[in-house]
Amino acid sequence: MTHPSFEAQVDAYLDGELVAGDARALETHLAQCPECTRFRDRRLELRAAIVAGVPTFQAPPALRERVLAAARGSSPSARAPRRFTVQNVWRPLALAASFAVVALGSWTLALQRAGGVALADDVLASHIRSLMPGHLTDVLSSDQHTVKPWFNGRLDFSPAVYDFAGRGYQLLGGRIDSLGGRPVAALVYGRRQHVINVFVWPAARGPTAGPERRTRQGYHELHWTTGDYTYWLVSDLGLAELQDFAQLLRQADSTTSVPASR
Amino acid sequence: MESSALARFEAVVLPHLDAAYTLARYLMRNAQDAEDVVQDACLRALKYFEGFRGEEATSARAWLLTIVRNTAHSWRKRHRPDALAVEFDETEHSDAVVRDPEAKETLGRALDRLAPEFREVIVLRELQGLSYKEISDVTGVPVGTVMSRLSRARARLQEALRAEEVR
Repeated sequence: MTHPSFEAQVDAYLDGELVAGDARALETHLAQCPECTRFRDRRLELRAAIVAGVPTFQAPPALRERVLAAARGSSPSARAPRRFTVQNVWRPLALAASFAVVALGSWTLALQRAGGVALADDVLASHIRSLMPGHLTDVLSSDQHTVKPWFNGRLDFSPAVYDFAGRGYQLLGGRIDSLGGRPVAALVYGRRQHVINVFVWPAARGPTAGPERRTRQGYHELHWTTGDYTYWLVSDLGLAELQDFAQLLRQADSTTSVPASR
Repeated sequence: MESSALARFEAVVLPHLDAAYTLARYLMRNAQDAEDVVQDACLRALKYFEGFRGEEATSARAWLLTIVRNTAHSWRKRHRPDALAVEFDETEHSDAVVRDPEAKETLGRALDRLAPEFREVIVLRELQGLSYKEISDVTGVPVGTVMSRLSRARARLQEALRAEEVR
């Protein structure tokens, strides 16, 4: 199995780009080959390091305005690149404007963070951390009747645990995590080789703000508050499938008065 | 540009301006050039927008990133004819790069030192979450090449990471 393209195969596997048959063959091999498992784990570490250490950028507001102006404006000759227009008399003016932009930029940034972006970042960081070897689950079980009672005595609420294996979303287990300064339940589901973390906590007792949908570094996050609970979903699964899964969760919640216990 | 087309351009293309700027930042390795490239790319996008028939949000993103990527490459050839040749050497240090102070130095610099064809697949995959097929569309190389470039790029970044741990 150690032909030259093996590393590329593991990468494709972690990227969710291997077809199901190849992915299963690779999983079988990984289960019995410590060396290849170590290789995979180092790749997961690299992925986490990239998320932590390589930033994405926001287009400067001035650039956005120039593009808009160009789209709305006039003839091509009026859209000379900024490089040649910010000269001479405009330079001091542009300098002053850029200070204003910096001030405005940091202000909106502060507002956004207050509005739940910080929480969304925490959710993503928790997801990435959970992908590190040995961090995914504290209770490892595909049985909802094992996972749900496990939280008893560990949390002061009892999260709904469903099994959607029939729909292709398998329950893998659960763990306790910490978000926004309070302990939360993390339920772990899997679809093919993708991991989905579902973070749940009582809406009344923790932060609930955040974007309904966000994509960062290839991970999608979905968020909603319904009834008593706040939900955050995060995964590298395709957005359409993650939304499908979210729909299943919401339906299950709305149709079950006493969730997942018979 | 007539108002309906303009509204469509604003709705379909402009949401991906951050993605466009991020790609340009890593391809050009400085903020000033990145802004110029994105502005230039958006003007081209405007020009060809009538011909763009993609409906899905993801394809609009890939479409814009393709234009940004091509603009960046031709911009570098035009303004810094020697830049490409130097970069393939991969030993060049990019001291001129303006970088956020909170960014981790080593990994970011290792990325900056990668040859552009490796750097772009990392940015497109790791920072922007494009599928292999989309990366293949953006960079104009087959999916198999995308796969092997990604793997080689990651191997190099991993060496940088390990070198940091040893220190």
